[in-house]
Amino acid sequence: MIKLLSQLSRARKLENSIFLLIVLFVYKIIFPTLSSVPILIVNELLLLSVIFFIIAYTDDFISDKIDSPIAIVLNVGILTAVLFFIISLSSALFEESAALTEGADFIITILLTLLAFVFVGSLTYIFSGFRSLFFLRQKKEPKKLFNIMMFLIFLAAFSSAIVKMDSSTEYIYNTFYVLSIILISFNSLRVSWIAFLIKKQKLYLLIISIVLSALFAFNFALIISDVFIIRVLSGFSPSLLTFLNLIMLYGLIYFGVIFFTTLFHLPTAEAFDRKAEEVSSLIDLSKLITQVFDFKELADTVTKMTTKVSNSDSAWLVISKDGSLELASINNIGYLEADEIIDAIDWSKFDNNNEVTLLKKNNFSKAKGAALKKNHFDCIALAPLKVHNKLSGYLLAGRKDNYEFDSDDKKSIGAFADYAAVALENAKLFKESIEKERLEKELDVAREIQYKIIPSKTPEFEKLKISALFIPAFEVGGDYYDFFEVDKNKMGFVIADVSGKGISAAFIMAEVKGIFESLSRLIDSPKELLVNANEILKNSLDSKTFVTAIYGVFDTEKGKLLFSRVGHTPVHVLRNNNVKRLTPGGIGLGLDYTDKFSKSIKEMEFDLINDDILVFYTDGVTESQDENNNDFGTDRLDKLLVENSDKRIENLSNEIMKEITVFSKNKAQHDDITMVIFKWNLSKNKNGEN
Amino acid sequence: MADFNVNVRGVGSVNVIELNGYLDAHTAPMLESTFNKLIEENNFRVVVNFETLNYISSAGLGVFMAYVETMRDNKGDIKFSNMQDNVYNIFDLLGFPMLYEFFKDESEAVEKFNEQGLNK
Repeated sequence: MIKLLSQLSRARKLENSIFLLIVLFVYKIIFPTLSSVPILIVNELLLLSVIFFIIAYTDDFISDKIDSPIAIVLNVGILTAVLFFIISLSSALFEESAALTEGADFIITILLTLLAFVFVGSLTYIFSGFRSLFFLRQKKEPKKLFNIMMFLIFLAAFSSAIVKMDSSTEYIYNTFYVLSIILISFNSLRVSWIAFLIKKQKLYLLIISIVLSALFAFNFALIISDVFIIRVLSGFSPSLLTFLNLIMLYGLIYFGVIFFTTLFHLPTAEAFDRKAEEVSSLIDLSKLITQVFDFKELADTVTKMTTKVSNSDSAWLVISKDGSLELASINNIGYLEADEIIDAIDWSKFDNNNEVTLLKKNNFSKAKGAALKKNHFDCIALAPLKVHNKLSGYLLAGRKDNYEFDSDDKKSIGAFADYAAVALENAKLFKESIEKERLEKELDVAREIQYKIIPSKTPEFEKLKISALFIPAFEVGGDYYDFFEVDKNKMGFVIADVSGKGISAAFIMAEVKGIFESLSRLIDSPKELLVNANEILKNSLDSKTFVTAIYGVFDTEKGKLLFSRVGHTPVHVLRNNNVKRLTPGGIGLGLDYTDKFSKSIKEMEFDLINDDILVFYTDGVTESQDENNNDFGTDRLDKLLVENSDKRIENLSNEIMKEITVFSKNKAQHDDITMVIFKWNLSKNKNGEN
Repeated sequence: MADFNVNVRGVGSVNVIELNGYLDAHTAPMLESTFNKLIEENNFRVVVNFETLNYISSAGLGVFMAYVETMRDNKGDIKFSNMQDNVYNIFDLLGFPMLYEFFKDESEAVEKFNEQGLNK
């Protein structure tokens, strides 16, 4: 039956209740007095089923409030108070007019029925309230006990109606009544939910429970005396009266029990509150760890919660950075004071400690204890932050009073330290991944700059064939080459390598391009041009950065090259299957800004003969490495040049590229690879082939 | 990756920095902090012994450029010694020999400092 009921939807239960109420109402109008046995029995059955269905409905309704038992208690209290007022007020007003109890008048019948309905409603709600409180915080649902009690109450109520017809059956009623009271008393002991209230709520409940048990007692006392309303209800239905009687008794017993239980719980209320706070703080903290990646914010939360939960006066967090300890967060203590105490502690003792350690005033030497004394700390708890057995810092909590930290305090400080350690690790990892992402974005920008700076194609001349090869490194190495039209038969050429990597190298590259582009129009002499470039770069290069370069001017008609080298790799010249390296002197740009620089630069003139191949490159070519850290080197380069000298220069540079790729296939390319190859070709063959 | 070590020892009034391994953009900060420490302690006469250094990148070269001025302004210097050929080639191409003093042996570099000390 109950199972069936619980399957009904809430709306369904309400419908049933209302339907039965209306039936009962109509029935009452038709049979205003309980003059015969069948009428009485039908009346009682109707009433009890109304109560049953309303209980089923309100039960659902109250279970929404299950999280605030105080609210349920208050609702019960208010309804009890209402009943109290109706009972005492009606008694005072209508005591003398006995006629009302006869129930003969139609309108009076309606009024009295409605009054009875108020009682029905209030009582069922109160009963549901008790039911909810009974089941609250019960791990094993002792449904049976409650249902038996409910059943007994109903039986007692029904049998009271039978007693009215046949007084010889009173012993049956008495039996059910007494059994009901026994179960009510027994069920009233289920008040474990009180333990879960916070101290303030417990105090509140203490007051409410005493007021309520008094109210229930008053009601009970009024019911068993023969007042007006009792006569009305007994005229309406004897069962209802018994139900009222038992509910009031239930309330009296229940709130009496609540009062004493709460009273006994009060001394431990504070400890319970603290435990509950610790648990909820830890839950909050673990949520924070997964949501917040700002370490400072997390650290502040940790110190704040530690202070609160461990009942300490202050808490502070230190993290080890590059071997020294750094204050990360403070709570209720000044930075200077916290620092003073950190300095006073002999940290080396705790390196291998996994436990929370207590430091008392007398653990410190006199000189160092002064810092503690000055700040009035009597005891400091120290918990290491460890993740994967790696120490990352300490959480400290200090107490100013004479009470030491007990084992519970130590445990909670330890727990917070563990969380802080994980949070620290998380925040660090997150920061690293952000940093990595930022770096990658930055490198994308740098690569884009580099691609815009480097010419997309090589110029073409009748006698001078040019092929360029450029492979940027992931990190952007700062390589640059360019061609400038100086006048009709003269072409300027530059190859340069900015030290450093990434976006800073790319920016300097852009500046270098601007410098060479403008100076190539103004200055013919490569040496002079480089001296000027050095002068200009002085303002933009930091002391660690330098630029190596070769600047030269080709006479594309006469086959002459005038060039200077500043710190750059040599020019390799392939002539008659022989490689010669040209290395005129010159200090790199940015290394020196005195006249030593200009003095160091030599200018070299080179006359080209047919089939001469000139190779300009950056150190990314020769410093490409294999898996054993061997450099590609200049000799390997020269050998390749000789072997492939008969090829078209496009194929030559492809061949070199292929060799470098094979050579360094097991190693990441860490610098840009740039190579520009010139071939002086007098034959009519346009492709520069022999 | 390849590792790197810096070791500092005093030889009279001169401090010798011994480099070991690979000096590149990742390991350069170690050398920088060594120089910072020397400057903090007012040690401006430095000999860098390259005997066990296998590789130097442009970032490594930059470290010397960044500190040499401070040393020279304080009547000190950075001198290089015991360089392997492949490492010296890199310095040479860049023109360092025109700006820095290179010695075959550490003791020669130290001696040079001491001579300068006498001349003062």
